[in-house]
Amino acid sequence: MTFITRLRRFPFWSWLWFMTGALYFILPLLATFEFSLSWDPQYPLKAYQRAFEDQRFWNSFMYSNMLALTTILISIILIVPTAYWIRLRLPQARRIVEFITLMPFVVPAIILVFGLIRIYSQPFTVPFTDIVILQPLTNFKMGTNILIVAGYMVLSMPYMYRSVDTGMRTVDVRTLTEAAQSLGANWFIIITRIILPNIRSALLSGALLTFAIVVGEVVLASFLGVSAFGPYLFLLGQHRAYEPAALSFVSFLLTWLVMGLIQLVTGSQEQAAGAH
Amino acid sequence: MTHLALKNISKHFGDFTAVRDFDLEVKKGEFVSFLGPSGCGKTTTLRIIAGFEIPSSGVITINDMDITNKAPNQRNVGMVFQSYALFPNMTVSQNIGFGLRVRKEKESEVKDRVAEMLSIIHMEEKANSYPYQLSGGQMQRVALARALAIRPEVLLLDEPLSALDAKIRVALRAEIRSIQQKLGITAIYVTHDQEEALSLSDRIVVMNKGEMEQVGTPFEIYNFPTTVFSANFVGTLNNASAEVVDPANGLISIGGVQFESAVDLKERKKGDKVRVAIRPERLGFASEQKKANVVDCTIENITFLGSIVRIQVTIGKAKFYMDTFNNPFLELPKIGDKDQVTCSKEAVLVLDE
Amino acid sequence: MAQTTVNPQNRIAVTTNWKTWLGVAPFFLFAILFLFLPSLRLFTASFSAPDGSFTLNNIIQLFSEPFIVNAYKLSIQISAVTALGGGILGFLLAYSVTVGGLPKPLRSVLITFSGVASNFAGVPLAFAFVATIGRQGFVTQILKEVFNIGIYDAGFNLYSFMGLSLVYMYFQFPLMVLIMAPALDGLKKEWREAAENLGANTTQYWLKVALPVLLPSILGTMILLFGNAFGAYATAYALTGGRIGIITIQIGAQIRGDVLYNPGLGYAMAIGMVVIMAISLAGYSWLQSKTERWLK
Repeated sequence: MTFITRLRRFPFWSWLWFMTGALYFILPLLATFEFSLSWDPQYPLKAYQRAFEDQRFWNSFMYSNMLALTTILISIILIVPTAYWIRLRLPQARRIVEFITLMPFVVPAIILVFGLIRIYSQPFTVPFTDIVILQPLTNFKMGTNILIVAGYMVLSMPYMYRSVDTGMRTVDVRTLTEAAQSLGANWFIIITRIILPNIRSALLSGALLTFAIVVGEVVLASFLGVSAFGPYLFLLGQHRAYEPAALSFVSFLLTWLVMGLIQLVTGSQEQAAGAH
Repeated sequence: MTHLALKNISKHFGDFTAVRDFDLEVKKGEFVSFLGPSGCGKTTTLRIIAGFEIPSSGVITINDMDITNKAPNQRNVGMVFQSYALFPNMTVSQNIGFGLRVRKEKESEVKDRVAEMLSIIHMEEKANSYPYQLSGGQMQRVALARALAIRPEVLLLDEPLSALDAKIRVALRAEIRSIQQKLGITAIYVTHDQEEALSLSDRIVVMNKGEMEQVGTPFEIYNFPTTVFSANFVGTLNNASAEVVDPANGLISIGGVQFESAVDLKERKKGDKVRVAIRPERLGFASEQKKANVVDCTIENITFLGSIVRIQVTIGKAKFYMDTFNNPFLELPKIGDKDQVTCSKEAVLVLDE
Repeated sequence: MAQTTVNPQNRIAVTTNWKTWLGVAPFFLFAILFLFLPSLRLFTASFSAPDGSFTLNNIIQLFSEPFIVNAYKLSIQISAVTALGGGILGFLLAYSVTVGGLPKPLRSVLITFSGVASNFAGVPLAFAFVATIGRQGFVTQILKEVFNIGIYDAGFNLYSFMGLSLVYMYFQFPLMVLIMAPALDGLKKEWREAAENLGANTTQYWLKVALPVLLPSILGTMILLFGNAFGAYATAYALTGGRIGIITIQIGAQIRGDVLYNPGLGYAMAIGMVVIMAISLAGYSWLQSKTERWLK
């Protein structure tokens, strides 16, 4: 092979695009990392140490993790039986349910929280009277927690539903259910021993994606006034320079970890992409 | 001694009738096939027996006990699915033992039965494999063992071989039959493949558009079809419209060419329009075998099918296929030749037009 | 064969009774409580005057109040620019790792990176860009010291339209990569061979076969990117602290306090956003269905 033909086969443009993309990806991360180390040249990890020493960081981070876990758990309880029932008995509900799960794309977080606040900052009354049966959800801690978890469930619904539904399609839950029934299994056994184990990778990837959405979420958390990790990081950025950079870099690593795990459990390159 | 009985089963889905007036009694240990094209209602009928569909009307009994409205998991009816439906999260042994474990049988009992089933299907060495590690034929054998492990009253098989390739299909077919006979289990087998139905069954139910066309042994179904549909669906068949000439002597005419039939025509009158059916292998050249029904023909086409040579001839205006066994010394006629063909009067079937 | 299995399944639908629907009741209840009621509330409120009577004034004001019109305009411009820019860069990247002749391992590297980056937004992303091309940013410094280019002297500002677009691009083009890479895989090798066999060169193949086939997918994904940027709030807020007047920031201000002195107008702003998002999602799904017909 002569030099010229080798040159002609060299995909110059492809490399150019790829390098451009790679720079775009890497430069901000590199810059953040570099900046986070530059606080004290004697002690490069100072920003990280300071950030992790702050009790408010741990409180907000743990709280966000709890929110994420709760969201994931309730989402699974709500969505798995729904998706299963639609595959099994109610195929005519598929279109409407799929439509609903796409709604969060049309109602972005800022609009959702706007509507949620307007509805649930009023007390619940007995219809057509002024008798109050429940204080506004936004007025007490548990109520706010309910509201924010519900909001996160809405935001993650498209990913969770699609994940679960795809999982059920690939294992053909309908026939497996019939096979289990003909062997004498009841509903409890079918769900716990046949359905859930067979969609576990779909569940896990849906759960991880939900985790990625919830842990750093800012809009719902700040407007509903909860002290989650997102608002904490935002506030930190208002008065500090180095710790936010350190935590930003850490959140990037966390996102990386979550996406890596998703790829590991689904065993493919298909990835659901988040919306902002 | 009736084991499984379906009495007047009908099933409507909206205004579509999937099954109409299905009536069948199956003896203990009998192997019955439901044979018919796609959408003929055979699978629906099977699913009604399994309990996945509730019939719109009619009654199903097993050992004279009404199970029409029983839940599928209360029926003790084993089912083998076309798509195997093995639980992907369980090993071969776990799949086979599943039905026993949900019945809360003793673990030692389960182990013994699983081992017994594995030996029946000759797959002891695959006990701890997962379904994705098996071939199609192996998966279907496991599915069969799983259905049999619960000692079902009735074994239902829904086109179990149609996802497999031809060689394995034939081997597994024989295996299914021998296991069924060894265990003496009552089996219902749904298929659209006439060869499977003929080779496996004690009896065949030919179905079309939700109705039973004919019920009989493979021998009866093949040799004495009672309707044009079952005659056409099972095997290759020549058929042509004809007219009754002499009911008393069994004479009919196909476009002016007279044939004599052994079928009793006393119910019909002279001039009645009927359909005549003759199997290609029952026709032969008159020069070889001199019998009744010797008629003139023209050779139209010759097709070589391996062990058989299929010759198309024109008799009167109707076209007929004639099959002769292939052998190296066969002297084939040429296209356009005039010749004479013959068939016995037993070979001439007369069906309603 | 298909028919025997399809038949009973499709027909079941006719015989389902109301009890079967109970199975999905919890889901619908949830959707009503936390998705429909809030949206509906905003919708009805946007047609209410402060005294509670019905009015179209709020909707009319959406189109006449310069403050609101500008917010929409700015949001639409940013979304369009980053959808186009992210779309083009994303497509070229997807091209380079699928049919562009780059080594295979680079593909999975890129796809993994894209998965991470498309999910990396909000506060950390804003901070990362401040550290990169803020006034004292890493790249800003390098450009100044090594190449002697002062981007801030030349008029660049991270907290402006251009800066925000640059930040949005970070999650825009990876999304394009994730969707376009499988679409590019759908281009059959035989098409190219057939085109070459018929005498077409590479440019002709791309212009006359590949791009037309991919066009619905490209356009559809760009619309998706548009919606993605249009609904974004956190990144812009964290970056500019609310100083850039895109529509989500203005709605946020309205939630925090009635800055418009007319709550109804705030609701109308929200509904206007929903309408734009709905139109883009509809466009996306329409184009997507076209794509699926061609690339299967």
